[in-house]
Amino acid sequence: MANYCMVIDLDKCVGCQACSLACKAENNVPHGTPYEHKRHHDMYWHKVIAAWEGEYPSVGTQIIPMPCMHCDHPPCVNVCPSKATYKRGDGIVMQNFRRCLGCRYCIVACPYGARNFNFKDQENEEYQRPDLPPDLDLSYEGLIGPWPYPHRTRGVVEKCTYCFHRIDQAHANGQEVGSKLEGEDGVLPACVEACPTGARYFGDLGDPESAVRKIMAGRGPIKLREEMQTSPKTIYLPR
Amino acid sequence: MQVNFAPLKGNSRNYSILVGVLIGLVAAGLIAYLIAYAYGFRLWGVNNYVTWGQLITVDFFFIGLSAGSLVVSSLVYVFGQEKYKPIGRMAVYMGLLLMMGAMFTVLTDLGRPEKFWRLFMYFYLSNMKSMFGINGIFYAGYILLLGTYLVAALSGSKLTKFIAPVAVLWAMLVHMGTGAIVGFIETRHVMYSPLKPIEFVSAAFASGLALVTLLSYLTLRFSKRPINKDMFVSLGKLLVVLILILMVLVTVDKLTHFYPPKREAVMFLIAGPWAWIFWLQVALGYFIPLAILCNPWLRKKVGWVIAACAICVVGIFFERAAIIFPGLSQPLEYYPGEIAGIWGARGGFLIMPAETLQTLGIVALLGLLFVLGLKFMELTPALDEGEHAQAEPADQVAAPAAEGGQT
Repeated sequence: MANYCMVIDLDKCVGCQACSLACKAENNVPHGTPYEHKRHHDMYWHKVIAAWEGEYPSVGTQIIPMPCMHCDHPPCVNVCPSKATYKRGDGIVMQNFRRCLGCRYCIVACPYGARNFNFKDQENEEYQRPDLPPDLDLSYEGLIGPWPYPHRTRGVVEKCTYCFHRIDQAHANGQEVGSKLEGEDGVLPACVEACPTGARYFGDLGDPESAVRKIMAGRGPIKLREEMQTSPKTIYLPR
Repeated sequence: MQVNFAPLKGNSRNYSILVGVLIGLVAAGLIAYLIAYAYGFRLWGVNNYVTWGQLITVDFFFIGLSAGSLVVSSLVYVFGQEKYKPIGRMAVYMGLLLMMGAMFTVLTDLGRPEKFWRLFMYFYLSNMKSMFGINGIFYAGYILLLGTYLVAALSGSKLTKFIAPVAVLWAMLVHMGTGAIVGFIETRHVMYSPLKPIEFVSAAFASGLALVTLLSYLTLRFSKRPINKDMFVSLGKLLVVLILILMVLVTVDKLTHFYPPKREAVMFLIAGPWAWIFWLQVALGYFIPLAILCNPWLRKKVGWVIAACAICVVGIFFERAAIIFPGLSQPLEYYPGEIAGIWGARGGFLIMPAETLQTLGIVALLGLLFVLGLKFMELTPALDEGEHAQAEPADQVAAPAAEGGQT
């Protein structure tokens, strides 16, 4: 089975936040009000941070887009009491809203701040899709639509899923998944697809012929907070 | 030493006022919770940074107090220290109440409380690698044990001799498990420590002993029961030992993490924006009670001992808060350097009415159950030898009063 990973080339990233917007649009993540933003009540499955060092004129800024790291040893899976967070066979760390109790232990344990608690019901009508199943059950084997989150459930924790619904649908339709160095890309997560500079790559970490493996070769890839030994699968290529 | 137990009459005006006030607070807390449940937890102070708030703080506090209460009861039922007998039953009852209160706070703190049963599907639907999953066993077993213990103590059964030591050991497990909830989380450097489970047990014993001393004194005082001053003075001496152990553990823990090079977490705790919580913990939890209880004149005066206990209980509450709030609000270092905007900002916490009222409501609920328990159960020592017989004439047929009230 594939072992999916995402490679982000920081040399190409311009910090335009197209990835964050694409994520919000694809996964129907609600926008927050300025008040909610101030109180850290709004949800971000994907964020772009800017880390800077030094003072003017010798200052350096590093812009880092951060989806979920989909760790190989995810602390959130360890601490979840109800198995609502689990690692799929293809390495994607998932969140099952039907199992989630809302204890928020995973938010405490996540070293990357990738998890968000849902503090309220969505108010905006345009997000409501009652014709689609409310959320994903583990026993659900059929295909789910392009929007896997027609309703949001208040009181549970949410996170990035590497757009698993696109990947599953591609497999079911016999399409290829992942970036290509030459020719047409396969099916990609929304943020990878939306990146205007092509800074993001998605593919199988286990396949030595995959684009992600080739692009990483010789670039000295880095992982965030390696001292935590979570071995993240969102990998960065330094500038 | 024989002690007769009798319930409070509970006819006085003050008793009715107390019950009324507590019922009012419980109702306010219930309404606050229902509103928060309907509108989502945005009405609370918790947010995506400081994601555990007042309720979890109170939860840890209650679990600790419960374990500590049990230790006091063990003095009577395990170590046979007869002089503590008058407050033995109250201690067991408080242990049970506080543990149930702790479970109640956790339940209402869940985002989807209707799914709480998933915590108790051991090995089947629960993840037993999670400390919450393991603690599910500890907590459920503890409540069952305490219930049996209370029934045995009330009926004066010899079973207490067997249940009490098991319950005390189980209480230590419960508390070490609770400490491990925060102690095992490496992400949060303020919390992360191998000493946390032991520290929690130690803090539990100190705070629980202090609370039992305080509440039993107040109960005896206001119900005009005889007060054995020596008993309270000797409880004060025991508290000194427990506080000293706790102080050593906390000092070792913080000192280890203070030693360079990696000391940001301790600096954040002792000199950061939440430093006042930590220093209140140190002052109220350790130094002021020790200053009172080690003073050769003050430690023999019951009033001062009780004051020291009250201050210590408040101090240990701040100890719990000093784990949750600084631990969660310290910014995560995603990348070396300073992170701009909200992603690098320290987490804040607002005192919101819904959450605060609910916390008060749960405290009031425990108070209410305690006060009602005093009236309807034989928890307090009798005013005089004859009271038991008058209060429970039906019991006389089944068992003689002296035997029925004895433990």
